[in-house]
Amino acid sequence: MGILPQLILNSIIAGAIYSMVALGFNLIYSTTRFFDLGYGAITAVGGYTVFWLYKLHGVNLPLSILVAIVVAGLIGVLADVLVYRRLRARRASTMVLLVASLGVFTMLQAVIAIIFSSQFQTLSSGGSKVYGVWGGAITEIQLIILCTAIVVMLLLGVFLKYTRFGRAIRAVGDDEEVARVVGINTNKIIRFVFFVSAGIGGLSGLLVGFDTGIEPTMGLNLLLKGVIAAIVGGIGSVWGGVLGAFFLGFVENFGIWQISGEWKDAIAFALLIVFLLFRPQGLIKK
Amino acid sequence: MPYLIHLAILIGIYGILGLSLNLVVGYTGLLSVTQAAFYGLGAYATAVLLTTTGLNFFVATFLGVLLTSILALLIGFVLSRFRGDYYALGSFGFNIIIYSIFLNWQSVTRGPLGIPGISRPTIFGLNFSDNLPFLILTVIIAILVYLLCRFIVNSSFGRVLKAIREDEQALQVFGYRTAHYKLTIFVISAGLAAVAGSLFASYITFVDPSSFVLFESIFILAIIILGGLANLRGSLLGAFCLILLPELLRFVGFPSDVAAQMRQVVYGLILVILMLYRPQGLMGEYKL
Repeated sequence: MGILPQLILNSIIAGAIYSMVALGFNLIYSTTRFFDLGYGAITAVGGYTVFWLYKLHGVNLPLSILVAIVVAGLIGVLADVLVYRRLRARRASTMVLLVASLGVFTMLQAVIAIIFSSQFQTLSSGGSKVYGVWGGAITEIQLIILCTAIVVMLLLGVFLKYTRFGRAIRAVGDDEEVARVVGINTNKIIRFVFFVSAGIGGLSGLLVGFDTGIEPTMGLNLLLKGVIAAIVGGIGSVWGGVLGAFFLGFVENFGIWQISGEWKDAIAFALLIVFLLFRPQGLIKK
Repeated sequence: MPYLIHLAILIGIYGILGLSLNLVVGYTGLLSVTQAAFYGLGAYATAVLLTTTGLNFFVATFLGVLLTSILALLIGFVLSRFRGDYYALGSFGFNIIIYSIFLNWQSVTRGPLGIPGISRPTIFGLNFSDNLPFLILTVIIAILVYLLCRFIVNSSFGRVLKAIREDEQALQVFGYRTAHYKLTIFVISAGLAAVAGSLFASYITFVDPSSFVLFESIFILAIIILGGLANLRGSLLGAFCLILLPELLRFVGFPSDVAAQMRQVVYGLILVILMLYRPQGLMGEYKL
């Protein structure tokens, strides 16, 4: 007894956060087939919008969160309209898109740092409730993160499977050309995908902000964990990403059980490299 | 004047880094984003050897290059199994893993404290502790690296690299073991980056992990993309532009914290604009 329940709880919380990031990332990847690294900086946009509205200007919390999700979504769309769509229209290689998205990421992150300084900030006003579960402890905000992640997962799953729009998204993901031929407005669909994904990214960023805090560079870490989760789970598969996220959460938290916590990122990447080598299709093959 | 010498030394060091990375990204077409790891390995190896054993700088550099090459052989072997985006992501991963080692292997690297008191090079009674002689040393080494790179890319070996970039499968059909070529150039590139690392460690006389983060790799990538992929002079031009650019921003009069961030905005903008309008860079011969 003792540490084990806490380790399991920590793994589940980490998995919930990663799964949200992975969901958004996977959604973009499965429709546009490129690794959108700019998506990472969107998480910080979500966190900082809430910081600006709720902490600095005293706007009420639900409204701040709603606005943050919309702002994050719009910035995602903006990146697509200004950069990615033009590159796609020119049939640029995925490497070009990758480098361009790296540029978008670097710019967004630095702009946030200029506006808000690179200092670490917290969103919560301290002292959240702590619950005991099976001999471990979980804070109120962590519980909210877990519930939010489950709700987002279910909504997205239902949306993709049962709505016309969801089917159109999957059609574009399978083959953009064919989708266009059968009369789907692919640019509109992709714009929408960027909005939803970036919104989910912003939401996960602000939740992390309430749990641990925000800084302009928070996006890179979240992004990389999301990407690793997506690849470990099976790139392009929505449920695979979720599975990969929880798997990553467990590997990380149990990995640092005996050694210091600073090795977390190294463990995550070691996991990625092992998967790329031995099971590149991921846990669930699409 | 001392300021200009300082900038010239930095241009030399980043020029070497750009040349080394261009061999892999520009000539062979492998998008590697881990050059800062090898740069750091060279710097740390030199720093540890110089501060603990008092070896000569040039011997320490040689050992640093050797160590980095061995590690690059292992990393390159793993990376050679990936292609395209996965290659880039895997190389990201190694940068972060090696950075973690710099940060966490406290007994050797002193972790976030870094290693101070690294001596400047001396050889045959020549002393490079002043910046002007150090600049001359840097320029000589940069020229040697440039000549070596030029020799490599103009040789038959270099032609195979370019062929790998254009059509690896066709080359395999002709019986070339392309994995060997990719591994060899990766190791050479890492070794040259380690030379730049040694120069940097001994110039600044201090190393700490923050100089070798993932962003540094992105910066080196920006240098070669701006200057031009598969063009050696382009790498030098890229280093020249991207080292001088932030200095210009400083003259515009931003406060230092904002100036540092403005630099990143500009680097990001350069990457985006180049990808949109000129994906081969200013002097490049190859589009990603």
